[in-house]
Amino acid sequence: MKIENEEELRGRKEYSLTVNGRKVMVFVHPSKTLLEVLREDLDLIGTKCGCDDTNCGVCTVLMDGHPVKSCTILIPQAAGHTILTIEGLEAAPDNLHPLQQSFIDHTAIQCGFCTPAMVLTAKAILDENPHASEEEIREGLHGNVCRCTGYKQITEAIMAVRDGEYGDFLQWEEVNHK
Amino acid sequence: MRFEEYYEPDTIEECSRLLIKFGDHAKLLAGGTDLVPKLKNKIWHPQAVIGLFGIPGMDAITVSEEGLTLGSLAVLRTIQKDSEIGEKYVAVREACGHVSSLQVRNIATIGGNACNASPSADAVEGLLIHNAVCDIYSAEGERKVPLCEFFTGPGKTVLKTGEILRGFFVPAPKPHTGCAYKKYTIRGDSDISIVGAGARVTLGEDGKVADCRISLASVAPTPLISSKTEEFLIGKELTKDVIAKAGDIASGNIRPITDARGTAEYRVEMVRVWTRHALEEAYERAQNN
Repeated sequence: MKIENEEELRGRKEYSLTVNGRKVMVFVHPSKTLLEVLREDLDLIGTKCGCDDTNCGVCTVLMDGHPVKSCTILIPQAAGHTILTIEGLEAAPDNLHPLQQSFIDHTAIQCGFCTPAMVLTAKAILDENPHASEEEIREGLHGNVCRCTGYKQITEAIMAVRDGEYGDFLQWEEVNHK
Repeated sequence: MRFEEYYEPDTIEECSRLLIKFGDHAKLLAGGTDLVPKLKNKIWHPQAVIGLFGIPGMDAITVSEEGLTLGSLAVLRTIQKDSEIGEKYVAVREACGHVSSLQVRNIATIGGNACNASPSADAVEGLLIHNAVCDIYSAEGERKVPLCEFFTGPGKTVLKTGEILRGFFVPAPKPHTGCAYKKYTIRGDSDISIVGAGARVTLGEDGKVADCRISLASVAPTPLISSKTEEFLIGKELTKDVIAKAGDIASGNIRPITDARGTAEYRVEMVRVWTRHALEEAYERAQNN
């Protein structure tokens, strides 16, 4: 951790949280957002910063399994909770989560900036309702903006996983997310 | 820094004392979906932010014969998914479900939605329709205030220094009651409403309106109860003409502004339409309850 001067240390506190299965401790000012801590203190830059104002959803992470916008959560709100970012989703570079593989196969990615958030939100939608209809998937993705407007492929990629084209995703998670 | 000091009191009394100490220089943090953007955009620069998560029981939801008790920190999505609430307090569920996106509903709280006091607050509308009462705590005394008297202007409430909105009590609806909340936007729920309209109808033995509530969002400096429309509806049978007339009366008793989402004139017309839709749905539900 870089510490420039004493002024920077003022008001900092220790916060512990679980990120991608690992317990981490950060020593930061409580006015830092979860997004800033993930990107600046934990070097987890898979979570993107878009509008930085709760609108676009590219900063979505899962907190205790629920999608939230990390740009609008102060670090004390995340303390003690379990965070999953895109880095924690794949089992290994050659063993992607079924949703990740499906996004690739369906070309549900153009520029890729919204993708980590889309994949995580999709995971939360299917975890809660493995039989979610197309309408329910689209409603669930309402808070995620894709500027390339690739919603059709994104929805198709999610439906393919739902329909078992990539095996039983719940079972994959059970095996790979111990 | 967006603020200087952060506190997380263990008791509500300690929290109230902190609020008394800091006065206008402190802000409470619940879900943060309204507070954090205001901090980041430098609209507010408080000296202290006080997190409410350390206070036990602030997020409790209890349903009893008498009614529904909601702690201020009850998360909107939790309320939306609660089957007991969904069955009896339909407008509460519908209104919470209309707030922004999945991500926001997963962390935003019902108390925060009220204290932010936006004229377009959706979750609040569900509570207004069901006649909720605010439970206000202060180290110097507690009080109960009907939610319809809680708002005093955009971003302003009756809360005085040291007071905390602890939660709400929502009385159980009487038999033959139907409720509905409708949100009208261009871009779905992530958008802020052009108008919101809610209705509660309780039918008497004769099938006529024994009691009712018409609540409107985004058409005045505060969430609005249309008492003129309610007076008109009492004792009437809800025919098509009566419902249409109710829409006319509601649209004539608002104070809308022109903004990015719609002109004042357009809002008048839309209140006419959406009051009708809300009433029709509430009436249909009342007949089935």
